[in-house]
Amino acid sequence: MTTSSEKVQLPPGTLVKGKWNGKKYRLERLLGIGANGQVYLASLGRSVCALKFSDEAAELQGEANVLASLDHTGKKRGRVPFLLDVDDFTLDGRDLPFYAMRYVPGTPVSAYLKRHGSQWMGVVGYRLLERLAELHEAGWVFSDIKTDNVLVHDYGAVELVDFGGATAAGRSVRQFTEIYDRGYWSAGSRTADPAYDWFAFAMLWLHALDGKRLLQLTRALLPQNRHPGELMKLVRSHPRLRTMEGWMEKAFRGGFQDTREALLEWRQAIRSSERTAKSSESHVPGWMAGLLAGSVVLCAAVAAVWFLQ
Amino acid sequence: MKQILLITDGCSNVGESPVSAAALAFAEGITVNVAGVIDEGAIGEQGAVEIAEIAKAGGGMSRIVTTHQLSHTVQMMTRQTVAGTIRHAVNQELKQLFGLDSVGALPPPKRAEVVRVMDELEETSELRVALLIDASASMKPKLHAVEDAVRDLALSLQSRNGRSAVAVFHFPGDFGHLPCVLDCGWTTEAGKLHSMFTRIRMKGTTPTGPALLQVVDFIRETCGIIKSELLEPPHIERGDNEEVRSDYVV
Repeated sequence: MTTSSEKVQLPPGTLVKGKWNGKKYRLERLLGIGANGQVYLASLGRSVCALKFSDEAAELQGEANVLASLDHTGKKRGRVPFLLDVDDFTLDGRDLPFYAMRYVPGTPVSAYLKRHGSQWMGVVGYRLLERLAELHEAGWVFSDIKTDNVLVHDYGAVELVDFGGATAAGRSVRQFTEIYDRGYWSAGSRTADPAYDWFAFAMLWLHALDGKRLLQLTRALLPQNRHPGELMKLVRSHPRLRTMEGWMEKAFRGGFQDTREALLEWRQAIRSSERTAKSSESHVPGWMAGLLAGSVVLCAAVAAVWFLQ
Repeated sequence: MKQILLITDGCSNVGESPVSAAALAFAEGITVNVAGVIDEGAIGEQGAVEIAEIAKAGGGMSRIVTTHQLSHTVQMMTRQTVAGTIRHAVNQELKQLFGLDSVGALPPPKRAEVVRVMDELEETSELRVALLIDASASMKPKLHAVEDAVRDLALSLQSRNGRSAVAVFHFPGDFGHLPCVLDCGWTTEAGKLHSMFTRIRMKGTTPTGPALLQVVDFIRETCGIIKSELLEPPHIERGDNEEVRSDYVV
């Protein structure tokens, strides 16, 4: 059996001319090989984009359809459309279908936090929730939130990649990663709704900041014992996540009204957790406070004696 | 749409050939997928060949996986079989109506429309999956993983828009004269599948073929009426389409 990852890769510099629309792309390098295709960085004139090739025309088109309808519903000025082109590339007499999408540079969120510190969690999370809120308001659920699909670039700017799994709200989730999945943790169905994304969003932080213990937990737990309560135990015993306990709990239980509310509460939770972090950092040592209290008492006593006289 | 998913860990040793039983199932419009489960050891060569053959004859796919991968594999096979069945039917129509090879031969805008319809069908068509579980002695340590996979599949099916149901069988049967036993009739609720394997007594023989035939009978009796025209998989010309389908997953 041959698999797509064993398929011939196209060398950098290959000129890809679309059979139907005639655009000419130049492949720069291979970005990645997924379960159902290969993604290349390509240039078109002076702009860059990503091209995804696959042998499965129908499945590829399905992904392109998702991107196209995101472009239709989430109208916003000045934003680069998700889907740029759908076409076939004729190679050795065979048509190889592909689509062009915008190219998103960046680092997966866990790597970003490792390099720049967990204090970036606040900004990155805020931006990500903002993106999700837009998506949800347009009637879509991303569904496959995981660290590889959340790319962070300079100063915490965030983009989601791999929209192939995005699902219309109310439909069954078409693509998910087990440990991020609400159903896997017996915390709800696999029908796409905003709460499905909140759950995966909360898992994202657990995975990015405390991945080792999370993986240990998934290995140790019997399926019937998988429960958000177990996840909350991890949250409570992690120094950074503990400060977000209330928010995380609500996300695991799907307790927000909508994603805007989740966003608002995220901001508040981050602010107050920063404040507690700061106050505990600049904590005044006990002896100093004691000394101060002592001197105040002494001063008051002296003043009292002086007044009485 | 009707599927049988066979979960086993080795070769059949009693009764009719499971390969011809699977071919019969496919002839009746039922796709047969096979998951071969292994622990540490490898599956015997004979077993591996048989598993591949059963799936081929049954118009489905086969995977040999460890217990950890089982849930994921079961999901993936079920979903792809649904997509594959629809794709096949659509391609067939395209060939008859326009003389086109497949969806891929359409110009992109038309392709987008057709695929939209296909996705819609994928989500909304009625789906029934009968799980046939090998409960011969060697499967005993793997039954927890199997149970987990079954529950996980039911959870996913429950989320679909279209009516979906699962039924669960295990083989060999308890009393000699039946090749397999119905553990749970058509159900739409994942909750009903809780700890259903606790009462299974493990036995030595593996009558895969007769068990498959019995499940086919069950499906024919319980859902003979719900045949839907479009989704009837044709029995001919599976040659290159099969190639494509088994080609594309890593």
